[in-house]
Amino acid sequence: MYAPIMKRLAVNGTATTNSVLAVSGIALLVTLAATFFYLITQGHVAFNTRSEGVAWGLPIITYVFLVLTSTGLTFIASMALLFGFDDFYPVAKRCVWLAVAALVAGFTSLALELGHPFRMIWALPTGMQYVSPMFWMGVFYSLYLGFLLLKFWRMEIGDWHSGLSRALGAASFVSVVIAHATLGLVFGMMSMRPAWYSDMMPVYFLVTAALSGAAFAVFFTYLAYGFDRQAMPSGVRDLKSSSRLPNIFATLIGVTILMVVSRAITGYWTNLEGMQAVREMVASPWFQFELWAGLVLPFVLMATPRLQTEQKWQILASALVIIGLFIGRYDYMVSGQRVPLFKGAWIPGLAEYTPSLAEWMIALVAFSLVFFIYAAGEKLFNLAAAPQRESAAGAPLATT
Amino acid sequence: MAKWGMVIDLEKCTGCQACTAACQMENNRAPGESWQDVLFYTEGEYPSGTLKWFPRPCMHCENPSCVHVCPVKATYKTEEGFVLIDWNRCIGCKYCVIACPYGVRFYSDEKPLVEPDLRRIFPSGDDHAWSPPWRMPAQQEDWKHGVGISPKGVVTKCTFCYHRVSQAPKGVKDLDPADPKLRDYTPACVVTCAPTARYFGDIGDPKSNVSKLIAEKRGVRLLEQTGNKPQVYYLSGEAGAVPGSRAQKNS
Repeated sequence: MYAPIMKRLAVNGTATTNSVLAVSGIALLVTLAATFFYLITQGHVAFNTRSEGVAWGLPIITYVFLVLTSTGLTFIASMALLFGFDDFYPVAKRCVWLAVAALVAGFTSLALELGHPFRMIWALPTGMQYVSPMFWMGVFYSLYLGFLLLKFWRMEIGDWHSGLSRALGAASFVSVVIAHATLGLVFGMMSMRPAWYSDMMPVYFLVTAALSGAAFAVFFTYLAYGFDRQAMPSGVRDLKSSSRLPNIFATLIGVTILMVVSRAITGYWTNLEGMQAVREMVASPWFQFELWAGLVLPFVLMATPRLQTEQKWQILASALVIIGLFIGRYDYMVSGQRVPLFKGAWIPGLAEYTPSLAEWMIALVAFSLVFFIYAAGEKLFNLAAAPQRESAAGAPLATT
Repeated sequence: MAKWGMVIDLEKCTGCQACTAACQMENNRAPGESWQDVLFYTEGEYPSGTLKWFPRPCMHCENPSCVHVCPVKATYKTEEGFVLIDWNRCIGCKYCVIACPYGVRFYSDEKPLVEPDLRRIFPSGDDHAWSPPWRMPAQQEDWKHGVGISPKGVVTKCTFCYHRVSQAPKGVKDLDPADPKLRDYTPACVVTCAPTARYFGDIGDPKSNVSKLIAEKRGVRLLEQTGNKPQVYYLSGEAGAVPGSRAQKNS
């Protein structure tokens, strides 16, 4: 088994894939080495997170960003696998693999942040703390990973439509809808943190997860073909050239803009204790970048008929949305924690937070891992595979 | 069974922080890891600004949000009302730090509040986070109840001096440090409080002194709107209102 894998890694793949694999592999090794150096020599003292301020820092932000991206990628894959939008088949398998990559990378970031990650293995099932949203988040994201891998395995052996394959597709979709909602509740149920407290949090996560999944799907599909639409198989090219994907993309960006702006206005207007940090967040240049460059500009690009189908604007829009959403996750997580509650003898105002180098290393480990797993998948599997489609007359329309 | 609670008389509290120091000595906490903190803040502006202070232990809530959020049941509430942490179970996710409205929890593996980092000056050769030169007797260390020098990578907090109070004679209504027979079972912050601003007893028994104080002096609890129902009551009297928040507002 080992030899064929190594052979595929050595032989398969385009020049772009080889470059991505090599660069991400080196980045992964370097950042992992740096992370373990920090953790072994200093422990979590190397982080800038504080009990009296921001306790959940960049590694948790990266975790939330990546697992929600994984959620969104499953939504995109499910367009074809579950909801009958056949023109999404050419990107479905790649999306499922990317969902695995993002989820594993997110879990890695989380594990490197926890004090005792391996205790979870026995403490979660023996504790059965069913009133904790984090308990359910662990349960459903674990189930989701299992279903996702099984679904990918069925696709890999060419089984797209059997009852088992469809059931696995449905199971991964349902489990991730519940998983992302429980992640939303991890924050949304915290009434002592008004900047987070909202029953709309799962919905906000649903929309932004779908958006980041769509952005990843667009970006990585271009990456798979060296950012050259002409190199794409016809099915993928048709999807990219039609207005269908940009329209979905623009709709998701539009709804996200509405939610981000309404939250900003609420935060600016309210006198509620604990919302001061939202006001500061809105005034920061990072938020302005997220809103205007990360959301409004991509919305204009993807909603304008003349521009939306062009390769360069699709790539730019997807990259800007990915950056914008990451900033959004950062702002959201940090602003919820800056009010110090009743902590710290002499902390007069809002807690400050800037990630340390060790925290950046963990974030880079996670992002390197996404690219590394993705590129390894491109070489080990045929991620462009799609089922044979049949016309009304029964003749095959597209094969891969 | 007793339902232990604390009453803090803000009229008598002088903000001397002896409770903070006593707690740190009793429970082997690093400087800055103030399980029993006294918060200082200002109200108003020159020339009428005033310096205020507010003592804040763990509230050992009746309905503790920290217990509800802990995904592994490392944080739990006992029948006697203590909210404790099992350091053998804690995974260090810090969700309880996020979910405590009173900010009473500390992660044992983070940058020190006060330099130099004494944990590096007195390192431990075993599972403990450090080996301070002052420490409680080894037989009192009890990681299942979050007592003693903690391991790395877990969350710590005030235990209401569980190692003392849990040994108190059965049926005692109030742990009065003035009574030599009860002094050793009374929380360290209560024992050390020079102006006797602190009282500790069974708030489930209407005949206890703490219950009478709460009833007669109109004891209030911090952030009632959270529904956590603290078992620490404040008597504000002429000392002014219990603060609703300490974050500064930019108008």
